[in-house]
Amino acid sequence: MNMSRRQALVQWVGASAWAVCPAWAQTERHQDGRLVFVFLRGAYDGLSMLVPYADPHYQALRPQIAIPAPDGSRRSALELDGRFGLHPACADLLPLWQEGLLAAIVCAGSPDPTRSHFDAQYHWETGQPGRSSAADGWMNLACGSTARPTLAAAIGVGEPNPRILLGPQRVQLVASGASALRAGTLANAQTRQAMQALYASNAQLTEALSRGADSRLQTAQMLSSPDMAAQEQSLANNGAGAAQGLALDAQRLGTLMNKNRALRCGFLSSGGWDTHINQGDVTGVLANNLGHLSRTLLALRQSFNGPRDVVVVASEFGRTCAENGSRGTDHGHGNIMWVMGTEVQGGRCHGRWQGLASAVLNQNRDLPVHHDFRAVLAQALVKSQGMTPAQVAAVFPGYSWDSDMDGLFRA
Amino acid sequence: MTAHLRFLWALVIFFALAGCTLAPSSPDPSARSQSWVQLKRPDSSLLQGRQAQWRAINRLTYGPTPQVIEQLQAAQDPLIWAMQQLDAARLASQQAPRLTAELMDLDLPLPALFEGARKEREARANVPAGTSLNESLPAGKRFDFSEPAPVHFFNRTQVNKATAWRLAACSSDEAEQALLARMTEFWFNHFNVYQNKGSVRPFVGHYALHVVRKHALGKFEDLLLASARHPAMLYYLDQWQSVSPPVARGKASQRGLNENYARELMELHTLGVQGGYTQSDVHELAKILTGWTVSPRSDSGFAFVARNHASGPKPWLGHTLGVSPADVGLEEGLQAIRILSRHPATARRVATRLAQYFVADEPRQALIEALSSTFMRTDGDIYQLMQVLIGSEDFWRPELRLYRTPFDFACAALRTVQAGQNRGAWLQAFNYTATAGQPIQNWPTPDGYPLDAATWLSPEALTRRIDFALNIARQAPQREDLYAYLSAATVQTIRQQAAAQRMGLLLGSPEFLYK
Repeated sequence: MNMSRRQALVQWVGASAWAVCPAWAQTERHQDGRLVFVFLRGAYDGLSMLVPYADPHYQALRPQIAIPAPDGSRRSALELDGRFGLHPACADLLPLWQEGLLAAIVCAGSPDPTRSHFDAQYHWETGQPGRSSAADGWMNLACGSTARPTLAAAIGVGEPNPRILLGPQRVQLVASGASALRAGTLANAQTRQAMQALYASNAQLTEALSRGADSRLQTAQMLSSPDMAAQEQSLANNGAGAAQGLALDAQRLGTLMNKNRALRCGFLSSGGWDTHINQGDVTGVLANNLGHLSRTLLALRQSFNGPRDVVVVASEFGRTCAENGSRGTDHGHGNIMWVMGTEVQGGRCHGRWQGLASAVLNQNRDLPVHHDFRAVLAQALVKSQGMTPAQVAAVFPGYSWDSDMDGLFRA
Repeated sequence: MTAHLRFLWALVIFFALAGCTLAPSSPDPSARSQSWVQLKRPDSSLLQGRQAQWRAINRLTYGPTPQVIEQLQAAQDPLIWAMQQLDAARLASQQAPRLTAELMDLDLPLPALFEGARKEREARANVPAGTSLNESLPAGKRFDFSEPAPVHFFNRTQVNKATAWRLAACSSDEAEQALLARMTEFWFNHFNVYQNKGSVRPFVGHYALHVVRKHALGKFEDLLLASARHPAMLYYLDQWQSVSPPVARGKASQRGLNENYARELMELHTLGVQGGYTQSDVHELAKILTGWTVSPRSDSGFAFVARNHASGPKPWLGHTLGVSPADVGLEEGLQAIRILSRHPATARRVATRLAQYFVADEPRQALIEALSSTFMRTDGDIYQLMQVLIGSEDFWRPELRLYRTPFDFACAALRTVQAGQNRGAWLQAFNYTATAGQPIQNWPTPDGYPLDAATWLSPEALTRRIDFALNIARQAPQREDLYAYLSAATVQTIRQQAAAQRMGLLLGSPEFLYK
């Protein structure tokens, strides 16, 4: 990677980690915030979650999959602000919206025009739209700590090695489901020594072994401790049933990050959003996914309710405004991002909205990108990590500050 | 045989070089002469000793069975052995797969697979209200096919049989020619389908056997066309229901155009994302392919439905298809596939991916150029590409290392502990690949899994790999015959441990993590 990008960050994270050091031991309310990024891989259909029901073109563009305008029933959108409604499968999120803890950003996305999932995800995770050569993940750079190099400052639950967490800093990676609880063969000191001896002449293996074994042990200990198990159980019983899939991962993430305040950033992801066919309307595949997502956000809110905690939800791009020939939607461009947190200017839509008339759409078919996704992430990093705009600029080279998003959080 | 091979090999190199000088490669003459140097016979020092043997075993098969070790030691020259493997793989690809009686259902004709899926749908629709099927499958039963599959679980059983076959094929020489198993894996990943997309499930095994395996060392165009027409791909990328927009407006159907397959066909299967096409090319290609769909009753599983096809000229990729009356309808799609499969960007993409799979994460340009010029000269003859690749110096250069993917490692472990026919070991391998992030036939996105060390050599994944290695080696017989291939330091560390630990450490050693 660009050495100046890395060096600038190393200086900053070093100082920052030092400053927050005393906070780790505390169990009371913390002032330093955490950032959680939830990545919906496959391009979720934002226009089904934040429904522009009042737009005169919306129904015509989507004759078979539009979400009906609010009529007070569960078969229609839930009223938000007279222009937009929330998908009824997201009813759990309505109180968060009403309390001002949840905000939408319309017409947000990557300035790069690619419609390739793989390229676009890479751009999002490196924070460098248009770049295809090797680069570190922005979350690793923004949240890593060099002051305590044996401690991870960022954590991912689910994926074995997401690009967004790849980079020079230590990160903790946790498997989904039951295997997160198992410490594995390396818990045995003799085995670990023997493996260290085997890898002695290979620096990369040595480093990976040491990081991996530490992280596995730490995760297993934390999730298996009696108070933690009890906590998971009580969380599970609060809902209709045990948390599943993404919501369980979210619960684990909250548990681990609350237990270890050195963890400043968290990453979650889910798939199944690439709805080219039969995406459904108020029910169906997409509605089910949106329901899971809502439960996930609720679980996150339970753990991340400190004043400076921030949760961001996004996809690599949006989908076509019009439905395609298979009652689904194809790859689009701009999309809706979501931000949740105590100091969010919530209960409203941020960003420039010009409606769905063909002439204002990208290539007459997709939401335009008026707001670079990095503008939203930049605000979230400033709020949750206490970074300055200059420090953010080092994480996102080539990005220039967008003051349109300055009102996203309360000062 | 040996003389014949040597002659053949000389021809390969000759043509590869001829191809190189014709190819629009680097204008810099020194770069061209460098590619010439690349393709002379690998220096004999590269082919001598245990290192070259170890490399050949681990790159052309998944790992060292005792039989392969013996074979290679008997051969005078690892290059000759390698070329023999290639011939054997091509021969095997032209013959039916060696399926055990339990896995014979994988070879059911397509209409029978459609029928099985239909019966499952019907049976599930008839589950009495208020009752529900027990969907859980005890772990130990996943690969137990001793009972006939219940009608409600036809699809799941087909998927599990396909997985069992993939594990057997990569790890047992009785089940499959080893290099063909590798080639099958490569092309399955290139033309990835995802078994958990509902309608794909019953067809994934048939796809692996009759599309990927069958054409793995044939012509790229045949492979591409076979994948385009197969129900697994037609369902996976939604092509089966993409129809012309005017039909969509009729009252008989509300369906219309779907761009999914057309886009991935260019982005992933052929040209690559930098291949020089536009959104308009995606749209026009989707129109060209309208009418391509599944056919439950035909042996091919494929049908072209003319009334769903978008008529009219389609400007696409610098051509205009759908103009002359002789070339409209189905012929448009065939023409498009022909054009794509002979396109220089396709040649380059396939060359790069093959070199990444067999040689290095970042292969040298000279090798990629030699392979793409061979592709262009031979109309995409994969066998000839492999001859050039195996005959290249880079294939044998010890400093070009590859880190095994989880699947690759699982297969290597199964071969080394000689458990390629063992259901319990398959299950361990299956679980390992899933927790390591590379579940078999279960990569959801059409790009296929990545191959590089940057993806797979991560701290968390390494700990999962060590767990798997140590666990699968528990009851395994010792393989001291392999010590001669390991570094002195590795052997010393292994010997310091109790006998019961030694096989696990052997599998976890750097010599097994890399190939």
